[in-house]
Amino acid sequence: MSDLPEYVLERNFNAPREMVWRAWTDPDLLSRWYGPNVETIIHGFELKPGGAWLNEMKMRGSSFFSKMLFQEVETEALLVWHHYSSTDADWNPVASPMMADWPVNLLTTVNFSDANGKTAVRLSQIPVDASAAEISCFAEKMAFMDQGWGSGYTILDEMLEELQAKGA
Amino acid sequence: MEIIGYINQSQSLDAVFAALADPTRRAILTRLATGQATVNQLAEPFEISQPAVSRHLKVLERAGLIARDIDQQRRPARLTAKNMVAAVDWLTDFEAFWGGSFDQLDDILMTMKSASKKDEPDE
Repeated sequence: MSDLPEYVLERNFNAPREMVWRAWTDPDLLSRWYGPNVETIIHGFELKPGGAWLNEMKMRGSSFFSKMLFQEVETEALLVWHHYSSTDADWNPVASPMMADWPVNLLTTVNFSDANGKTAVRLSQIPVDASAAEISCFAEKMAFMDQGWGSGYTILDEMLEELQAKGA
Repeated sequence: MEIIGYINQSQSLDAVFAALADPTRRAILTRLATGQATVNQLAEPFEISQPAVSRHLKVLERAGLIARDIDQQRRPARLTAKNMVAAVDWLTDFEAFWGGSFDQLDDILMTMKSASKKDEPDE
């Protein structure tokens, strides 16, 4: 369990825990912030173990569907769901159209706790029921991100400069 | 920069990340960023054999990160940017997804807070 690659994002929000919880669990509020700079439409939202959050995001002229199946719900404390990053329009999980070996299902855990008048949110994602190829794909991307994706950006910057110099 | 399409990218992106996972290949790319080079020229600083460099170049070529001129005898390798841009964009998108969402959550919470203050009766 512990040797699986993990993505973690922690952030404090300057609002009471009750309010932060509401922003995560009221689909009208959730659809307003989930997905950066995209139009998010929530087609279903059943906040209980076994319940589904059916999500559509519109960007670049296309619709992208995903499905979250809640595993654990502890009011104002914990959300755990299975995160199917890509589904077809009928909500059947499919491989990522961008990355064939991206894990189909990510176990997503969101913890809410008090932090000096603010609310601390910790989000974690690890592959679940994943093939060896999915785990190594996820691990590889996490490793790139841990390096700040430094080498990629550095090489890209140099490449783009080079190409621009040629084009000039 | 062209818009990266979401369709039919997966194979090339997997190949790009696999190619980038190797430090020697990243070093070769960095070297090529300063200009095209032949296998001889590339083998020199890396203290590896020319056949080994050739193998690395094949991986990079398959990933679409470099191109080699076929009309020149020494077949110098040069960078091609498109797939690197796609790979960087993909990772940036993943990183930006939750980070960008959390920024938006911050804004929503500020709106909610100011709305709830208005609802409170004046003392």
